[in-house]
Amino acid sequence: MKTMQPCVTIGSYTWAQDRLPGDEFSVRVDELRSAMARHGWRAVLVYGDVREHAALAYLSNFIPRVRWGMALLPASGDARLLCAMSTRDLPAMRGLTWIADVRSGMGPEWDKAFDPWFERFSAEPSEQQLGTLGFDLMAPVLHDAVRRSLGERFVLQRADDVVAVPPQRKRPRELTLLRASCALVQDAARVFVEGWRESGEPETAALAAERAARSRAAQDVRTLVSLDGGRTLSPYQGRFDKTAGPLLGYLAVKVMGYWADLFVTLEGASKNPARRRVEAALDAVIATMRPGVRAGDLHATAIAALTPLPLHPALSQSVGHGVGLSLHEAPELRAGADATLVEDGVYSLQVGIADRNAGNALLSAMVRNAKTGAEVLLRSP
Amino acid sequence: MADQALISKNLRLSQATQYLQNHDRDGLIACSNGLNNFLDANAIYVFSGVRPIGESAVVLDRDGRSTLIVTPAWDGERAAAASSTDETIGADDLAAALRSAADKHGLTTERMLSAGLSLLGQALAARIAAALGGAPQPADDLARDLARVRSQEELEAAERANWIAERGYERLLEYARPGLREFELAAELYCFMKKLGAEDNFLLLSASQHNLAVRAAGERILDVGDIILSEITPCYRGQFVQICRTTVIGEPPPAVRKNYVILQDATGEGLLAARAGARVADVTRAMNAVFGKAGYADFCRPPYMRVRGHGLGITSDRPGDIVERNERVLESGMMFVMHPNQYLPDSGYLMCGESVVVTASGARALSARPAQLDVIAA
Repeated sequence: MKTMQPCVTIGSYTWAQDRLPGDEFSVRVDELRSAMARHGWRAVLVYGDVREHAALAYLSNFIPRVRWGMALLPASGDARLLCAMSTRDLPAMRGLTWIADVRSGMGPEWDKAFDPWFERFSAEPSEQQLGTLGFDLMAPVLHDAVRRSLGERFVLQRADDVVAVPPQRKRPRELTLLRASCALVQDAARVFVEGWRESGEPETAALAAERAARSRAAQDVRTLVSLDGGRTLSPYQGRFDKTAGPLLGYLAVKVMGYWADLFVTLEGASKNPARRRVEAALDAVIATMRPGVRAGDLHATAIAALTPLPLHPALSQSVGHGVGLSLHEAPELRAGADATLVEDGVYSLQVGIADRNAGNALLSAMVRNAKTGAEVLLRSP
Repeated sequence: MADQALISKNLRLSQATQYLQNHDRDGLIACSNGLNNFLDANAIYVFSGVRPIGESAVVLDRDGRSTLIVTPAWDGERAAAASSTDETIGADDLAAALRSAADKHGLTTERMLSAGLSLLGQALAARIAAALGGAPQPADDLARDLARVRSQEELEAAERANWIAERGYERLLEYARPGLREFELAAELYCFMKKLGAEDNFLLLSASQHNLAVRAAGERILDVGDIILSEITPCYRGQFVQICRTTVIGEPPPAVRKNYVILQDATGEGLLAARAGARVADVTRAMNAVFGKAGYADFCRPPYMRVRGHGLGITSDRPGDIVERNERVLESGMMFVMHPNQYLPDSGYLMCGESVVVTASGARALSARPAQLDVIAA
């Protein structure tokens, strides 16, 4: 789900070497270097900003808390990281990544930071090719500056469609962190429900859940709540009004870079027809999960179970997507999507209905796509 | 308050309409990448009063008709309820929706201005340019220039934001103790201020026995002798404010006490100098002179400090960074944070800062209680 982006992420982002040791990143970068060899790239430039940084985080562990960061990962030799922070802030930035050479991307001469590295190739006669990851997100003004820094010596080649970084298939340590994130969002959901029962105020309940997650080292927390019984979702409004219910909300929590999310629908004593139908649809999608299944087939399964009621508008015609270092990773589970789901991929499956007669409900599950089918990591209460 | 809010929002649209007429342009497309940077103007907020979730745009024509487009489509209803534009559209494809809105307003690329296109990701910016048949002439500073002087409603929101910041700092004094991790303290303050109405918060909070700078909270466990630096920056109704504070657990070392007075004196000189008509450069020099007089002139540069203050988003970050190279003239009603935060060798980095509003006789700090070196009993 898209949620309001905070101006800075306030959780702890220190590189946890016990959970993500240096050799983990060696393996990841070596895979990228194999791609460099196949495609003739002398290096890959990896860009990420405060909002979307999955590739940068996967390869460097660096997550920009404000503005942007860019890593230069050469086929051979030392890596370098440029971050849009002042020189005053560099000591703190160096604690967030395995890359030793961290430089400031602010100030009048920031675009010369890579020059010494590029000088290595100056004696070589032909143009050098560099791969790029994440450059679609880069602001045009920044891209122009990068091009000026590279001069005529280098040709940039978009690598995003050639190498999948991060891969859809999660590595063992990634699965461990995703499980930790799922556990924390589950606890936060419990607090959300308790907060609602005590206050009758969706925003108070969401804030209680956020406080619980942040106090347990969540790096980021996002919430949406419904103030109209589930027909629409809203980011923070600051009104803290009581509502009649049912309670509908969305929680997303990031732990050591890895996200987990969950919808919560809570009615009174009896389930409304919408909820029963949504539960059945979610069951059907989970039962269809297996390595190799098409994203579009999962969408069709959900829609068939919901028919004749349409999918909740808040889901933007999708019944889920991958989750990992980004809250919203590929593939998107949309009508007709040909992408296939892989073994050890982790996905957020999301189904919902908003209907005047049947009622409103949004439910979800986080699942690992195991060889034998779905392993449910987390499911809406 | 609701009527006043509408007047203020319509004021920016009226100013932009007047600008188009004065510059013989048919329309404006203002874009946002969905980020609410506390150091920047968000043109969508300025022209609509809506904090966008995703990429979004406002289309305005020279007759004053306006349309807000927000993504994702499902956010359209919330946006419409808050927006001061004539029409609000929820869309999942911003480029296509912009094309459609430009057509409806009778706008052509050659006769339009754009603001904020250069902040979007280049892939989206290229799609928009393709949909419009070219990139309109950029006027990226338009929103921040039009909104550079706070309206009455914006000032009231800023006063409220500063009230929240001061309550947040009081909570720090109550809650911080040895044994607490930095991120636990940050979590408490962030949520405490959110409950008071802070819709966003650029909260930096860190501790050390000898700080090099302030940074975002980490895993460190607080202990006696730690000097806690906090940059508390809540946003209320689109107005970020900032207060910078220094807090010691236990008895502060003499050098910290001595140097903190220098920072307070620099703030005092800055407040006197920052009157309407003064240049930012002169305000900066007045503050730096205090450090020079104390023998620390060589430390008035990075990495020992960054700037002596800066503008505050998300309506306008004018007057910009408080640095000696900024020749901008201050105007009554401008707001910025004044913070002579400084690393000095015998005390480490210390923080002292207030959000201020420029008046004819100097700058007025919004805080009821000016920054002082605070002590938490060990």
